[in-house]
Amino acid sequence: MRVILPLLRVASGRLILGVFLFCVDASAQLPVDQMKRLEELERKMKQLDPNFQPPPTFEDRMKALEAKLDQLLAEKMTPPPPPPAVVAQAPTPAPAAPPAATPGSALVSPQQSAGPVQSVVVSGDYKATTQEVQLPVSGYMDFHVNKERGDNWRPDFHRFVLLFGHSFSDRIKFWSEFELEHSLVEGGEETGEIALEQAYLDFLIRRPLNPRAGMVLMPVGIVNERHEPPSFNGVERPFVETVIIPTTWRELGFGLTGDIGRGFRYRSYMTSALNARFFNAEFGIADGKTSGFDANMRNPAFVGRLEYGGVRRLTLGTSFYSGKSGFDTPGVNPRVTIASFDGRYSWRQFDVRGLFANIWISDAAALNSTLQFQTGVNPNVASQLRGYYVEPAYHLLPRRMRHDIVAFARYENYNTQQVMPAGYQPLEQFRRWSWITGVTYKPHPDIAVKFDYGFNRNRSSVVQAIDSINLGLGWWF
Amino acid sequence: MVVLMQLAILLTLLWQTQGLADKKPDRVISISAERFAYNPSKITLKQGELVEFVLTSDDTDHGFQISEAGIDVAIPPIGRGEARVRFLAKDKGRVFFFCSRPCGAGHNLMRGEIVVK
Repeated sequence: MRVILPLLRVASGRLILGVFLFCVDASAQLPVDQMKRLEELERKMKQLDPNFQPPPTFEDRMKALEAKLDQLLAEKMTPPPPPPAVVAQAPTPAPAAPPAATPGSALVSPQQSAGPVQSVVVSGDYKATTQEVQLPVSGYMDFHVNKERGDNWRPDFHRFVLLFGHSFSDRIKFWSEFELEHSLVEGGEETGEIALEQAYLDFLIRRPLNPRAGMVLMPVGIVNERHEPPSFNGVERPFVETVIIPTTWRELGFGLTGDIGRGFRYRSYMTSALNARFFNAEFGIADGKTSGFDANMRNPAFVGRLEYGGVRRLTLGTSFYSGKSGFDTPGVNPRVTIASFDGRYSWRQFDVRGLFANIWISDAAALNSTLQFQTGVNPNVASQLRGYYVEPAYHLLPRRMRHDIVAFARYENYNTQQVMPAGYQPLEQFRRWSWITGVTYKPHPDIAVKFDYGFNRNRSSVVQAIDSINLGLGWWF
Repeated sequence: MVVLMQLAILLTLLWQTQGLADKKPDRVISISAERFAYNPSKITLKQGELVEFVLTSDDTDHGFQISEAGIDVAIPPIGRGEARVRFLAKDKGRVFFFCSRPCGAGHNLMRGEIVVK
């Protein structure tokens, strides 16, 4: 039956077309209804293939239709490898769409199907992937113009990022992200950065248990794994997720990912460690991420994230990281431990998101001594770093609108000198907080035009924090 | 004669599917897609049930692909409409659906499961 049916379809298709051709040829003149039928056939063929262009003359139009029909049927006859329990079923739209169909409705033709579900009809505002022009890559771009008080306006094409993926099969998939920051990279100069942000293979075995290996994004906080410009408010990423939690934080490693049911999912990796040599007072551990370069797994780190997404538009997550970071600081091997909690929720036109993170660094005093001995400068690394932010936002237009305008305000508190080791005093200029307030306009869900103003403060009476005004244009494709 | 019989078989099959397309579904199930998950991500159906999935996105455009059923449609981004896919749960078993449109770092893991009992 499996062999016969496609042959039947070809034979029947040719028969129908042949009868139609005979009828048309038998007539010296073309009746209006036949012309309409021909145009209708061409219109339907265009639904199947938007690139189909009928030639000008009647004979050629019929030939083109016949050739296109043969081509489509031949494509459908190519047998996909049948899975054990389910037989593939191609989404060939039938000659006639159902009467109540919305634009783009297509009946799915019946074929052999031993699987649990049989698709019947597709409708709505969908586009079949065969009807789309798709680039083989996706990516995002981030163009900013920043101004700090007392400084000039500074344009910066901050990020040019391309993402490449490939499915070896439904169960083995590759994903990668390649980034150019600040437009230019030139040898020996202080310029931008070319970086491999992620590149890993997923082996999809079972929903709760899927190995992953390669350059992985550390699943800590919100922004590390969700940093496409339209997915967050504000021109720059939150300070807490750059100064306290490094972003974009990636390390080499492997681990497991999965969905454990009832809305819970997790990621858990063993990765290369942070490098304590680059810890400092201003950016805490952020400069210690190896990003895969000269990485070390003598003492591998462990990172995990548990996330709940069982309620629509609500995501709650907690992340944990632990790893020794002294592979480059002889005599001292401080352990870095991170715990963070975050959440996002949308209700009608309101959005809210927030995050809390605390970082513990063991042997901070010994690390400071060692680094001061090596470099001559006391880095004043703290024993604990802490940061949190909360960001309410309001969509000024109803969600069903094609355009979106979001007004937001974000309060951030980020202290890289939260708890100091014995004998060290905190540097007050690094006990900071900010109010970021602004607007995001989206002419399309994947394009964000951003404006914000940052009121930046710190506890120092000597070193004053500087306010900033930012404009941004970011897009995802 | 043989050709006519073949044509009759083809038309019968098409008519059956057209019938299912016109029939009111037993259940309409809304599935929202958001980087990088579907909600709900596990759907349990009864054998013989005719269901319609209403697929919407809360952010960018996503895909809805079931290789075994030959379905691969793009879910429009938020504010740009919805896609509807109708299924007949004809046999017991399970099948995965997954995102076929690259949508970001967690794209590979964006999938769900349909179980027919």
